Amino acid sequence: MGGKCPHRNVKKRRYSHKTARRTKFELKGDDMVYAQLNKPDEEITPLPVDEDLPGMGQYYCPHCDRYFSNITVRDEHFKTKRHKKRVKIMMGPAPHTQLDAELAAGMGMPDNGPKLMSM
Amino acid sequence: MRLEKCWFCSSTVYPGHGIQFVRNDAKIFRFCRSKCHKNFKMKRNPRKVKWTKAYRRVHGKDMTQDSTFEFERKRNRPERYDRNVAENVLKAIPKIDKIRVTREERHHKNRSSFIPIYLYWKGLQSIFFGLLLILCKNLNRMKGKKEKLLKEAVRELEQGISLVKAPSVLQQDPSLTLPKIKVSQPQSEENRAMEE
Repeated sequence: MGGKCPHRNVKKRRYSHKTARRTKFELKGDDMVYAQLNKPDEEITPLPVDEDLPGMGQYYCPHCDRYFSNITVRDEHFKTKRHKKRVKIMMGPAPHTQLDAELAAGMGMPDNGPKLMSM
Repeated sequence: MRLEKCWFCSSTVYPGHGIQFVRNDAKIFRFCRSKCHKNFKMKRNPRKVKWTKAYRRVHGKDMTQDSTFEFERKRNRPERYDRNVAENVLKAIPKIDKIRVTREERHHKNRSSFIPIYLYWKGLQSIFFGLLLILCKNLNRMKGKKEKLLKEAVRELEQGISLVKAPSVLQQDPSLTLPKIKVSQPQSEENRAMEE
């Protein structure tokens, strides 16, 4: 009997495997990446060693949120069109947030009341 | 009860409607309907999707700065219930809403007055390209059919130039523009008093 998986020759009927889609949903959101990139220099820490990640998590592209196995692969990635596009987006204005959505809906800035704790 | 705004299209999400997504860093994204949710999943930028409020704000389609926007806001502090205040608020809501609507109408009307200037600019552009064409023609003379076609084009353009008029002429001669319809706004003085 035939398996569950449709024939690979028909493009639109290909079975969607989670492993194939993983890169799509395990990526960080745009606003998280943007916040990470715009951190002040003091807060930036060296990359932690993680044996589950490619290249022990040492070769990282902060714009695309991807890990690479070694430095040559990473440098090759920096030359790609996809990376350059991504850098261009991240150099631009800050990504859309819930606050932007509320302001666009005709609401004022949130009112948090007087500060109770004196700094 | 809090009426939230949709992350994507900025419309109000009433209780029992829409869906909310909580990301693994505990950030909440609320969506008014599946359309907005799907667009979010496609990683679309609301500032680039034409039907969202964010797009309309960024591109100057809607009013951006107004004192009526100061009333509705997220208040993250406890408020002691006061019967009189609540009553006054309920009275004020429809009035403020009316003011906002009239101001938005005025904004849209003022926006449409830019159209004659835009057309004038377009006319200038076509004249410029026509001049370029004439220059090109003088530089390298062509033979036969091509030259004839070009001559015709140039003549047509020169006739066209006399038809384009500056906006100042339009103001002097009202027959060239559409008749203006006067809209009476007796409410506006009242509204300003209310606001303060």
